[in-house]
Amino acid sequence: MRWCAVLLLALGLAACARDELFVVLPNPDGTAGEITVDDGKTQMPLNKPYAAGEMRGGKAEAAKVEPQEVQTIFASAIAARPMLPSHFRLYFVSDSDTLTAESEQQYRAVFADISKRPVYQVEVVGHTDTLGDRSYNQQLSLRRAQAIRDRLIKDGIATSAIAVAGRGELDLAVKTGTNVSEPRNRRVEIAVR
Amino acid sequence: MRYARRGFWPSVVMAAIVAMASLAAKADEAPIAQIKTATGPAFIVRGGTKTPAVPGASLFVKDVLQTDAGGTIGLTFSDNSVLSVGPSSEVALAEYNFDSSNFTGSMETDIHSGTLSMVSGDIARSSPSAMKVRTPTAILGVRGTSFAVEVGH
Repeated sequence: MRWCAVLLLALGLAACARDELFVVLPNPDGTAGEITVDDGKTQMPLNKPYAAGEMRGGKAEAAKVEPQEVQTIFASAIAARPMLPSHFRLYFVSDSDTLTAESEQQYRAVFADISKRPVYQVEVVGHTDTLGDRSYNQQLSLRRAQAIRDRLIKDGIATSAIAVAGRGELDLAVKTGTNVSEPRNRRVEIAVR
Repeated sequence: MRYARRGFWPSVVMAAIVAMASLAAKADEAPIAQIKTATGPAFIVRGGTKTPAVPGASLFVKDVLQTDAGGTIGLTFSDNSVLSVGPSSEVALAEYNFDSSNFTGSMETDIHSGTLSMVSGDIARSSPSAMKVRTPTAILGVRGTSFAVEVGH
């Protein structure tokens, strides 16, 4: 179908058939990001829910497709989509690997999320605030991540599916100077996918 | 007698070295994604070898995903991008690199035929030109969104 445009000229046909179709799907909150279709000559941005483009004979063009039609064309691909990744933050008591009372509740949400997935991978990255020595904080952040890992394993999550790391005070959630106690920085970030 | 099969051992040793070298290469390379869902006739093609796609299987850069009629595959990349492939499709994980310490990288997914849907992850967030999808006649740049592509009918 690449040569469609050439054939059109030669035979005087009305239009090329559609070779490719691109559609922006709405995010769960109804918003949409952007994709750009580049056919080698022009760049066509698509940035609204169900905005569509197509390739005909090597040329990018805007297309109109009804949401119903999109759901039909992509029904199997969309049905095969895995559960989207989840992100959690759990907070700790100062200078310890003990969860705050609130995060103790949140831990259950993490465990419930993992339990819903037939196949899972979990990444636990520990962090600290800037109070105290930098290399001590590096160790503390790793201890926090390991404490959560050990707990997940005890609750039945597969050891091989959990990766841990400690980032010390390198990635502050809330920017502060040195030697500042900041509860929102004493945390682990958990990605479940 | 002793040297009657002179050519044999050197070739065995060579074959073993080649096999070990290719295993080592695979062991060095980190998986880039994990299969989460698979239905019907669905396959991973890796270096010319075709194996059934099953949930839990690791995927590596250059792997090709193939489905026949009724087959689908769903997978999640290490940057938390999600890809699902519809029936009668061929999709290659052409390029992928991701640094999990600063959440930056780049990826290119090639769709040769069929349908796919994707939800972008950390790579698309890291820079506007970092995530691409290549089709037979176009290149898509992806800026943080969910989208679908069909090639052919």
